[in-house]
Amino acid sequence: MDMRLCLKYSLEEEGCFLSHLDLMRLMERAFRRANLPLAFSEGFNPHPRVSFASALAVGVTSEGEYLDVQLRENIPIQEVQKRLNMALPSGIKILESIAITKRKDSLMALINMARYRVAISLVELVSQKEVDFIISRVISQTSYCVFRRSKRGERQVDIRPGLFRLEGTVKDDKLYLEMDVQAGSQGNVKPTEVVKMQRELSPAILGDNLNIHRLGLYILNNNEIKNPLEIS
Amino acid sequence: MKQLKQVLEEDILLKVTKPLRYLGNEYNAVKKDWDKVKLRTLFAFPDVYEIGMSHLGLKIIYGVVNEEPDYLMERVFSPWTDMEEELRSRGIPLFSLESLRPIADFDCIGFTLQYEMSYTNILNILDLGGIPLKASERGDEYPLIMAGGPCTCNPEPLVDFIDFFVIGEGEEVTLEIFDVMVKHREQRQGRQEKKELLKELAQIKGVYVPSCYEALYDEKGKYKGIKAKMPSIPSKIVKRVVQDIDKAYFPLKPIVPYIEIVHDRMMVEVLRGCTRGCRFCQAGMIYRPVRERSPKVLLEQGEKLSENTGHNEISLTSLSTGDYTCVESLVKEILGSFEKKNIGVSLPSLRVDSFSVDLAKEVQKVRKTGLTFAPEAGTQRLRDVINKNVTEENLMEVAEAVFGEGWIQIKLYFMLGLPTETYEDLDGIVELAHKVLSRGTKILKEKGSNRRPTLTVSVSSFVPKPHTPFQWEAQDTMEVLRDKQLYLRNKIKDRRISFKYHESNLSFLEAVFAKGGRSLGQVLLEAWKRGCRFDSWSEYFHYNIWREAFEAVGIVPEDIANVPLNYEDALPWDHIDAGVKKGFLWSERNKAYSGVTTGDCRFDSCSSCGVCQDLDVSLVLRKGE
Repeated sequence: MDMRLCLKYSLEEEGCFLSHLDLMRLMERAFRRANLPLAFSEGFNPHPRVSFASALAVGVTSEGEYLDVQLRENIPIQEVQKRLNMALPSGIKILESIAITKRKDSLMALINMARYRVAISLVELVSQKEVDFIISRVISQTSYCVFRRSKRGERQVDIRPGLFRLEGTVKDDKLYLEMDVQAGSQGNVKPTEVVKMQRELSPAILGDNLNIHRLGLYILNNNEIKNPLEIS
Repeated sequence: MKQLKQVLEEDILLKVTKPLRYLGNEYNAVKKDWDKVKLRTLFAFPDVYEIGMSHLGLKIIYGVVNEEPDYLMERVFSPWTDMEEELRSRGIPLFSLESLRPIADFDCIGFTLQYEMSYTNILNILDLGGIPLKASERGDEYPLIMAGGPCTCNPEPLVDFIDFFVIGEGEEVTLEIFDVMVKHREQRQGRQEKKELLKELAQIKGVYVPSCYEALYDEKGKYKGIKAKMPSIPSKIVKRVVQDIDKAYFPLKPIVPYIEIVHDRMMVEVLRGCTRGCRFCQAGMIYRPVRERSPKVLLEQGEKLSENTGHNEISLTSLSTGDYTCVESLVKEILGSFEKKNIGVSLPSLRVDSFSVDLAKEVQKVRKTGLTFAPEAGTQRLRDVINKNVTEENLMEVAEAVFGEGWIQIKLYFMLGLPTETYEDLDGIVELAHKVLSRGTKILKEKGSNRRPTLTVSVSSFVPKPHTPFQWEAQDTMEVLRDKQLYLRNKIKDRRISFKYHESNLSFLEAVFAKGGRSLGQVLLEAWKRGCRFDSWSEYFHYNIWREAFEAVGIVPEDIANVPLNYEDALPWDHIDAGVKKGFLWSERNKAYSGVTTGDCRFDSCSSCGVCQDLDVSLVLRKGE
């Protein structure tokens, strides 16, 4: 009997340099090594039924990535997680896993929000009060346009509606921004774009060194935030 | 080494292409405790990660050494030019992938010589590691630099830089070498005396230590060969051969890279060697005799590899897998056990006959695009000269089978500039191509298909190689090669045929470094100093710089590539004994000029090439097992 699973995983150290294609290859191999029988699509060129929630930009670490997978056998969830973790290379780890019981739609169709933590080096020391002030300047904007380049040329996108929450704290010589931004099929706001906005609206205190970390992917519905495991 | 890792992750890797080339830590990578082993060695591949990691030899040597508790072996590849810039501008020495240690910290670094045009990358790796390039300038405190692989069958262009070469197959001799190194150090409280150690290494069969020899020249300055400086040093270096490859080590837990590499699949080595006897082919001469693995061992290895790697494709590799005496049953059994796991099978090289097409049909159930064959020459006359025992009939059979089975594309490989070639032979290429195409069109029409066949004709330029019957031959000049390429391009008018050819000046340099002697070391150094590296990558190949380097040193490369040699001439590789006798090669050359073919000793009588007689090995076939 087939079973459908939703897995939450992290990408740290070398894991953050994996491209989306690298990750797909890596996962298929890990399942094979763990002797977990993947279900395959029909047709001339069968591919494993693994679908990822959202691609992660190269260089970004994460503690909240998700994928759905279909197995050809019913295997206890904890067993799947244990075997898979033993078969994964360094840099990627399964954190939680559950059997999908209620969800029909793909993760990609449902996820509409991502939470990031961005560490930015500071060129001079600032107080929390000053930070609150410069954050409020960002929040108070009603629109902010960035240019995005694609194959079809450059286009202008207003990212402000896709910035749902922004907070900042100072620790040592770094400013930590935590942000909830739009993600998924309806559009993506990149953390680097929010940083760009922050830079333009702040006095020259932000350094060049950036460290971006994804805290999670979520489903935002009527002001309620749920993670993919909660709705599966 | 935490510090370097941090610098890499935070400052460097986001700025370079494919950062995972430099991090190691892949699944099955071996990490050993540096302080608990007796010898620390490094496998250095003078090209990028994706090419190096595809190489079976690396997997074998890395595995066989790391199986030994007393030794460790790590890896390093040529950093791409963006990474080189980052390293140089920050003053970071090149480091190994496993422990991120500077390569100069290792006891021994082994390079593999897979092709001549990677030599500048060797110098670049040493330099990036802060290691003096010339062997004579490296004292006891530096790692010993060794080199193995097919190009060691003429090691002379590299003798200035490499401390010692290993001739032949490496899985046994590598450990013998490391044993000698360890013993040497144990007798000296962990220190090494390089000169003494090299003398000890020169006693091992298959090891060539250039500093133990001196080159001799006649009164006109013409090279006369080399002579051992001491009576204890052998005058000839005989290649190493593993007799029983069923018993030989084979890596069953190879590293699984994070990024896609060139050959991104598991490999079993079906057989070693080839005795078809094509007269231009170096691999067909230096890897003799043919030794097949038994089907039972191959199946077991395939199972283990799939458990340990998780790859979804297995390649049955060898110089000519279609020649494996149990190939049909092997393919059938492998497919039987792997198909249900959705693991595909691939065959790397196909012989020109319908049997090979049948095999391809068996394994290639999906993605039917095209197949590749190598008739090498356009007329029967020239195919007889090069001993490529393929007839036009074979090729037509192939065309019929390929198009009949649903493929719509054939790729044909030819070589330009083969000895005795005339423009009639070039016309033969054009005729063959058109015949194959029209046969394809007819078959597809008969089948009621509305698809059209396409054909790719790819021509490379003949490069005379050491230890082949054509080692004495001159290469066509670049002008002649270019004329021949143009001639073909103008004659092939059909738009369904795509015509491809190689850069002739790259083939020219390949011939120079394949055939040249020790004086080329200066050229190499000069070219590297002027910025040459990654010469086999067209975007980094700068022929004009190479020309300047030759001029600076005062060597005319045409004198090496374009001048034929006589049997009496001392060849730069005469002291390297690859098993195949010089007399046999010369008689093969003479047979070439009279258009007489030689049979394959697997199926016909022994051709007395000398390998089995002189090296105490024999042909191993598994038919009936």
